[in-house]
Amino acid sequence: MDLFARNEGERYLCGLIDGPCQTSDLDVFVQDPAHGAIAQFFGVVRNHNEGLSAAAVDYDVHPELALKALSELCLDVCSDYPVKLVMIHSRGLVRVGEASVVIAASSAHRKDALGAVSDAIDQLKIRVPIWKKEIGPDDEQRWLDGHSLRKD
Amino acid sequence: MIAITIHCLGAFRELGDCFIVEVSDVSVASIREAVSRHLVEINRSDLDGVLKRSVFAEGEELLKDHVTVSGHEVSLLPPVAGG
Repeated sequence: MDLFARNEGERYLCGLIDGPCQTSDLDVFVQDPAHGAIAQFFGVVRNHNEGLSAAAVDYDVHPELALKALSELCLDVCSDYPVKLVMIHSRGLVRVGEASVVIAASSAHRKDALGAVSDAIDQLKIRVPIWKKEIGPDDEQRWLDGHSLRKD
Repeated sequence: MIAITIHCLGAFRELGDCFIVEVSDVSVASIREAVSRHLVEINRSDLDGVLKRSVFAEGEELLKDHVTVSGHEVSLLPPVAGG
């Protein structure tokens, strides 16, 4: 089941969807007649990692915590930059060449949109409770290490 | 003793969707120690390093080790790796 959250002022939209993310029409969510720049980032599953071949990634998610973390992240980015922002992440199986995360930001001028997208993906990787199980071409599987959320 | 259900995420999915540990008090530190003992019992001490870098959550709240849980279920969140 897909899960989405958006704030009242419609500054941001974030969500989790089952399977790969669609990369088309993402800009529709952030279009604004006062904004002259739209920046987009697509995170795509690649066919290799740490010297090993990969065929797909299976994303495990804590839905409630991940949506909460995505919402807090969007709020932080929107407080740092005058942008409209959309962030969508996959859960479940995403194959090589398919997008697992898509982000778009619009702003009056390009610097803010580009900065917002860059910060958003950097922070997503260390704040949002999502885990990767990499699946190799012969169905071998391994969980990838990541960033600890532990604060004590 | 108090039974606590541990919901598994990420690398801990290899242990199943959940497992139960018993603790004498409901501090997160006690739950962490009980999970560590459980890993030894099931010959999965290889996950102890991941456990040390993991955080427990109750509902939508991430828990520090000095706090106590109010219910009998927690999620075990290993280091995150989205993107």
